[in-house]
Amino acid sequence: MSDLFVRKATGMVRSWSVFDAFIYAFFSINLVTLGFYSFSQMYYFGGGMIPALIISAAFIIFEVVVYASLIAVMPRSGGDYVWQTRVFGGGIGFILSITGWWFTLWLWTPIYGDMLRQIVLTPLLGAFGFQEAAVWIAGQGTPLFVSSLLTLLFVALVIFLGMKSYARVQKYSFYAGMLGLLIVLVLLFTGSPEKFKAGLDANSASYFGTSGSLYEPTAQAGVDAFASTPMTGGTFGLIMVTLPYLVFFNLWPNWGATLYGEVRGATDYKRNFSGMAWALGVTTLLAIIFFLGVNRTIGWDFYVQANGAWWNYAWGYVTEAPPLPVWPNPAMLAVFLTDNRLIQIIVLLLMSTWWFGWAGTLFLSSTRVIFAAAFDRLLPEKAAELNDRGTPVNAMLYMILPAIVVAAMYAYNLAGFRSITLAATQGIAIMYFGTAIAAIILPYKKKELFEASPIAKMKVAGIPLITVAGLIFGGFLLFLLVEWFFDPWLNTGGVPPGLYGISIANTNSIIFLGSCYAIAAAIYYGFKSKRKSEGIDMDKVTAEIPVE
Amino acid sequence: MTTTIFFATDIHGSDICWSKFLNAGKFYGADQLILGGDMTGKAVVPFIHQGGSNYRVTLLEQIFEITTEDELMEMKKKVRSRGYYPYLTNPDEIQELEKSPEKVNAIFEQEVLKVVQQWMELAEKKLAGTGMKIYCCPGNDDMDEVDDVIRESRVVELAEGNVTMLASGHEMIASGWSNRTPWNTHREEDENQLAARYEAMISQLKNPQASIFNIHVPPYKSGLDEAPELDKDLRPVLAGNSMIPVGSTALRSAIEKTQPLLSLHGHIHEGRGSTRIGKTLVINPGSMYEQGTLLGAIIKLGKNKVENYVLTTG
Repeated sequence: MSDLFVRKATGMVRSWSVFDAFIYAFFSINLVTLGFYSFSQMYYFGGGMIPALIISAAFIIFEVVVYASLIAVMPRSGGDYVWQTRVFGGGIGFILSITGWWFTLWLWTPIYGDMLRQIVLTPLLGAFGFQEAAVWIAGQGTPLFVSSLLTLLFVALVIFLGMKSYARVQKYSFYAGMLGLLIVLVLLFTGSPEKFKAGLDANSASYFGTSGSLYEPTAQAGVDAFASTPMTGGTFGLIMVTLPYLVFFNLWPNWGATLYGEVRGATDYKRNFSGMAWALGVTTLLAIIFFLGVNRTIGWDFYVQANGAWWNYAWGYVTEAPPLPVWPNPAMLAVFLTDNRLIQIIVLLLMSTWWFGWAGTLFLSSTRVIFAAAFDRLLPEKAAELNDRGTPVNAMLYMILPAIVVAAMYAYNLAGFRSITLAATQGIAIMYFGTAIAAIILPYKKKELFEASPIAKMKVAGIPLITVAGLIFGGFLLFLLVEWFFDPWLNTGGVPPGLYGISIANTNSIIFLGSCYAIAAAIYYGFKSKRKSEGIDMDKVTAEIPVE
Repeated sequence: MTTTIFFATDIHGSDICWSKFLNAGKFYGADQLILGGDMTGKAVVPFIHQGGSNYRVTLLEQIFEITTEDELMEMKKKVRSRGYYPYLTNPDEIQELEKSPEKVNAIFEQEVLKVVQQWMELAEKKLAGTGMKIYCCPGNDDMDEVDDVIRESRVVELAEGNVTMLASGHEMIASGWSNRTPWNTHREEDENQLAARYEAMISQLKNPQASIFNIHVPPYKSGLDEAPELDKDLRPVLAGNSMIPVGSTALRSAIEKTQPLLSLHGHIHEGRGSTRIGKTLVINPGSMYEQGTLLGAIIKLGKNKVENYVLTTG
């Protein structure tokens, strides 16, 4: 029996495909870029990687509930900035979101650049026989800066072409990337440790000009770097300690989460939830399968030791390059299991699409938040200006110019910038914490808004689901923040930089983060004061008009 | 002469948004109120009688069992707050309505016009004698009969198709007609017809460069007209990640050629923002009507320039 009659009216769209939503969330928690990269850096932990993946996913599912709920209550509103502003008022939302979605993204630029060279450039240059170029681009300083500039060029091209074109690139990248990953997994599960050892020596010589056996010296370099992370096991406490590093990989199923068109009901909430939750679940499962494949052929211990050997050098703890003079990209190690160069190149190209289908959205949220702030007159009008082609040139410059400076500081390790990689996650997590608090109090502070939403009847023991999910997700974020700021390694007498490199003992990290918040606060209060002098009360323009 | 205008649009039948709009002049210190198109709601929610004082209502796919008069009133308010129209009915009538789209259309017309009439009465009650002017121009989702109801009002002035002299002395042209949409709505036509419609009004302007355009549809490729690309089944492709410009090319040409002081738009709810086309300030405040939030814009106008503006979230 009909429970709603709808007439023909603008915007009455049907629900999108959950599978499409899954693809975009799946690319946000990107196994091959964020995953392979962060797993490799986590070589010195005591908690098992597989239980850590499962436990982190169990917490992050509540993030999915929080964001799917907020989208259902306030759709088409532009995300964290608007949600926080609506619930808290102007200042907090602006400062947290501008820092999280704008300033912090500057720091992501060299990280994306590092992944570009390690995942795409180095293996492909090696595969095509450019040995010296392959080793050079994997090196420290200028090569990383060059790779960061290439990243910015790609991101600028994506913004120039627009999301209409890039969304299609992403979809094709999904299929190509999945095919590549499937081949990598097949290679890992059908190969043998002996074949891997032989392939490593032969192909490394061919790709990078190394000589002799690499396996034992690499393993020894890893042992010297205290590489020890197990695949399984570890106490609950040790597993929990790995999570603040692991979330660099999987805290992002909500990235770019949005909802267009009229919200017809709870089904829309479920579709949004499903897209993100499936992405989290499938990525977690794929990561576990990948670890099992690595263990079978490459050998877990060697995998962790090779990573330890590389990062011990890349982070500057030793000056001598490891026997394998590039990042031990697991996809590259897997293609070493075949001698066929053409297959190697095809697989490496397919695996490259994980980067190209993902990196283009680096500044997507930043552009949105810059526009939203400019429309609120908290940035100059020109910040949201479009050129004749519809490209947001000024917003791009607001992102790209500081990102070049930050990339240079990171590449050349000025002011110890390379140690603050996780601050890129920390800045966004602090903003998420603000959103989690907004979610917790939303049903009480914005009662009418909540009661008229599709999630009004979703309750757990009489408490709104959004509040319960917000408490769990917020609690998890609070745990991460405490671990990051008060690094447990330092608390037990260890020396900096500690497990995560961004504790209060790392003045570089604190200065970076503190500067970001100070700049955000200065912009907010500066523009607020300017508008007041022009006769615009910024508090009033975001205040609710009385109904009666 | 300096004037402060408050502009909002696309309130789609929301009682809360209309009440807020009427109060916005006093709240923001504006002296003229302009409402863009799409005043009317998109859905009728049946309250299905279950015997006695019991009703079953499904709102946003959540079922509510109503058992008392107070609950009934509360539910009606909740439905109206989203811009939907509550309709008391019974299971037999529902079955009949399912077979007869014409009867459903008749209910829509009846409910839409009833609410617009109530809104005009509320406007009169709140603003008569205050000197506050309201200029209103229905949009492509609003049926023609809405205009007749507005024409009867003494407080609200219908601006469709006219050059209206605002109290501040600025001339304003207005139209709720849009370029073609996938929904075949009440007021839409081809771009060449829109061009002729605009030209008919622009040619009457005495001082085009100091005028205001109040046109429901935004100009093409202004950044204020970005909507999700849809497939033939009206499903957003690529999970809504592919955004395309859907504004009017005829309007863009008209703005580029005429260069009015200010151009006000709506239609694309997620297109909130402001931009410049040449010297013209172009604004789409967007819409969050279903959340009872009135998005708007305050614009301070001098005789020949925009002195200041800000988008509001009320």
